[in-house]
Amino acid sequence: MSGAHQQTILAVDDSASMRQMVRFTLEGAGYKVVQAADGVEALELAKHGPVDLVLTDVNMPRMDGIALVRELRSLDSYKFVPMLVLTTESGQETKLRGKQAGATGWIVKPFNPEQLLATIGRVL
Amino acid sequence: MSMPASTADTTVIRALRLPDGWTPEQQIAQMLGLCEAQMDSAQQESDQSVDVLVQAFTALAEAARAVGALAADLPAQTESKQGQDLREQLTVLSKQTAAAVVAFQFYDKLTQRLGHVRYSLSALALFVCNSAQMQQAEQWQRLHSTLRRLYRTQSEREVFQMVMDGNEACAIRPALPADTVAAGEVELF
Repeated sequence: MSGAHQQTILAVDDSASMRQMVRFTLEGAGYKVVQAADGVEALELAKHGPVDLVLTDVNMPRMDGIALVRELRSLDSYKFVPMLVLTTESGQETKLRGKQAGATGWIVKPFNPEQLLATIGRVL
Repeated sequence: MSMPASTADTTVIRALRLPDGWTPEQQIAQMLGLCEAQMDSAQQESDQSVDVLVQAFTALAEAARAVGALAADLPAQTESKQGQDLREQLTVLSKQTAAAVVAFQFYDKLTQRLGHVRYSLSALALFVCNSAQMQQAEQWQRLHSTLRRLYRTQSEREVFQMVMDGNEACAIRPALPADTVAAGEVELF
């Protein structure tokens, strides 16, 4: 990643090992990573400081990833922020729910680091 | 795994007395609860070990990354044989690290699937406590439907369908196609 501005990514997943893998991959590519363990925590973090991209899991306690995307899209500052869903779910029905909520894209776990970075690069 | 000696077995059976007023339904529910508790306990222990493993891996991979950065700042050595060897080794490290990042994600998936199994056991335990409900085909269909909705990955659904089609559990694994998972699939909307 080039340029003076270090882009910030909000990574949301209830699995600590997944958050570690995502953080390691993104920080290695020069991104700043903010982490949350569920949708409620992510929403709070997002309201307190704008981020350049949201990368979220779907199935999480308290607030799932699709509800998070919907909530964020209702905020003026997140209308155009890319939001990628990173999940084990590959069913068309859930994917459609994500699309309708306002997700930018869908990535099925396990992610390949190179592929994840390429996808983020495309939407940022 | 060997079976316990018959004398020890008899002692255990005597110690494990059933409570007064026991019913088959309560016993089934209790045994299902036992399975759930054992899974929960095993998962908690695994969580701790995987946390340590992930931390160790991340530290190693970050150290390798730092070595790579240092090597890149050594212009005098870049043309030497050692410099070339170092770059080759760093490329191998980088590829292996990426492969490990993919492999480490197994635990997330395993945890999710075990969570679904635990929920299924819990739902079944509740279900069998109601003997009237157990006699109604419609109630069983409702339970099947609830569990079907629970399974969200492609492989979970395939396993569910194969069992519902009458296959035995031991016959399912070899029958599953190798590429049941759409891992790494990316779709931009």
